[in-house]
Amino acid sequence: MTAGFLLLIGGLVFLSGSALFAFYWSVKDGQLDNLGEAAKTIFDDGEPIGAATDKFPSRK
Amino acid sequence: MKPHSLISSFNPANEPDTLASHERAEIDASTRLPVLLFFSSAIFWLLIGSLLGLISAWKMTHPWFLDQMAWLTFGRLRPAHLNAVIYGWASAAGIGVGLWLMARLCRIPLIHSKLLISAAIFWNLGVFVGVLGILAGDSRSIEWLEFPGYATPILFVAYAFIGIWAIIMFRFRKPGHVYVSQWYLFAAFLWFPWLYATANILLIWQPIQGSAQGAVNWWFAHNVLGLWFTPIGLASAYYMIPKVIGRPIHSYYLSILGFWSLALFYSWNGMHHLIGGPFPAWMISASVVASIMMFIPVVTVAINHHMTMRGHFDALKWSPTLRFTVFGAMTYTVVSLQGSSMAIPSLNTLTHFTDYTIGHAHLGLYGFFSMMMFGAMYYIVPRLTGWEWPSATAIRWHFWLVASGIILMVGSLSLGGVLQGLALYDPQVSFRSSLDYATPFRMVRGISGFLLLAGHLVFAGHFAVMLLKIGRRREGPALFAEPSKPEAATV
Repeated sequence: MTAGFLLLIGGLVFLSGSALFAFYWSVKDGQLDNLGEAAKTIFDDGEPIGAATDKFPSRK
Repeated sequence: MKPHSLISSFNPANEPDTLASHERAEIDASTRLPVLLFFSSAIFWLLIGSLLGLISAWKMTHPWFLDQMAWLTFGRLRPAHLNAVIYGWASAAGIGVGLWLMARLCRIPLIHSKLLISAAIFWNLGVFVGVLGILAGDSRSIEWLEFPGYATPILFVAYAFIGIWAIIMFRFRKPGHVYVSQWYLFAAFLWFPWLYATANILLIWQPIQGSAQGAVNWWFAHNVLGLWFTPIGLASAYYMIPKVIGRPIHSYYLSILGFWSLALFYSWNGMHHLIGGPFPAWMISASVVASIMMFIPVVTVAINHHMTMRGHFDALKWSPTLRFTVFGAMTYTVVSLQGSSMAIPSLNTLTHFTDYTIGHAHLGLYGFFSMMMFGAMYYIVPRLTGWEWPSATAIRWHFWLVASGIILMVGSLSLGGVLQGLALYDPQVSFRSSLDYATPFRMVRGISGFLLLAGHLVFAGHFAVMLLKIGRRREGPALFAEPSKPEAATV
């Protein structure tokens, strides 16, 4: 068995494992609990929902 | 507007909106150097790549053009074009957009910028050595992996720095929800080194034998599109569209479903390039099924973007970012459904080995991904330089030149490809004559290359003027028109 083959299988297991872990984590952490609110996380008080932002930051 | 408290009236800097704006400006400023390095070099390679592509296209109809020098022959120019645009332009632009988005979505200023600056230097060195190597005749003749062996490790080092940085940033992010764009970006940053390393081990380091090489080759080439460029492009769309129009994404549930179904189905798709080839039938069948299953992530994204935009399409009139991004998002739907249809064996026998496939590839990497990157750059660069785009006219020229160029290119190649395919089907037509069907369409494709190059020159000039801050400072954003009622956008 060559080093390259081991590296490939190792990489595959690691990658699949990390994807499964990421999904498990996202469920456990509550990332998927309140999806309606989650969509709003890219807005804040400075750039609230309802304000268009294709404008220069210094101009309020 | 919330009522003012007594304290905030004394010190308006404590107003929540001012604090949020300062925090955002600080995050943007922290990304300035690495992101602009990636953007500038990406635009340089875009110009080189389009020139190489244009000469290659011209040679398809005028074979005697520049045929005296070995390094300018078609067999070297064409792979040099492909690699300059995918690694030099598209990947670097995608990394730049990804870095900025990661910092914004982690809600912390960018840390370890030296790591990223080194990555940008190594990345460009790798692309430079690779493109020169191909032109010098060292191409490895494996599509999408033509860079010679001495260029690959340099790229890999650059890439490792970026991957490590992404993990560190994610680790130190502010608590809270992980937005869908971040899932896409984080996945892309982890998928690419896996793809690149696996393909290099199996094809270069310890080459496997026989037709299995073809399987690895297309597994890699297709996944670069689906697991590297696609997630970055979609991450950008999922951020830019809601932010520009000021409305959350229509269905966040669909966006998450789209992400996980892409992760599940895409990596099976590559074998559909080998329909009819000497491979076990199950490999091809599994890939065809997975290609059709791609309808799920594609349709979720299409519905989501369309429904988010609904009622706000007038914003396309004034926002450069949105115009490029929505063009890219619509093309994503078209090119993905076209790709799925091309995996159906009966249609595949018609289009395979014709210019139709070349048209499809350009629609994906250019019509979808590159347009998405242009849109993101129009949004990001003013926030990094503190300088607004000087000319709305230049942006308008850029858009119409490249939009008409890519439509003309894909239209001519698709039509020519179908005619070529029908001629290949016909036993009465010789192979030589089947090529004649494609020739006039290839002429049109050559012309479309001029349009694209012209658009890129306008964009590069505009970017340089902005970076060097030449001319008078512009008051307010460079929009195509005064927005009718952008503030009145409703949820």
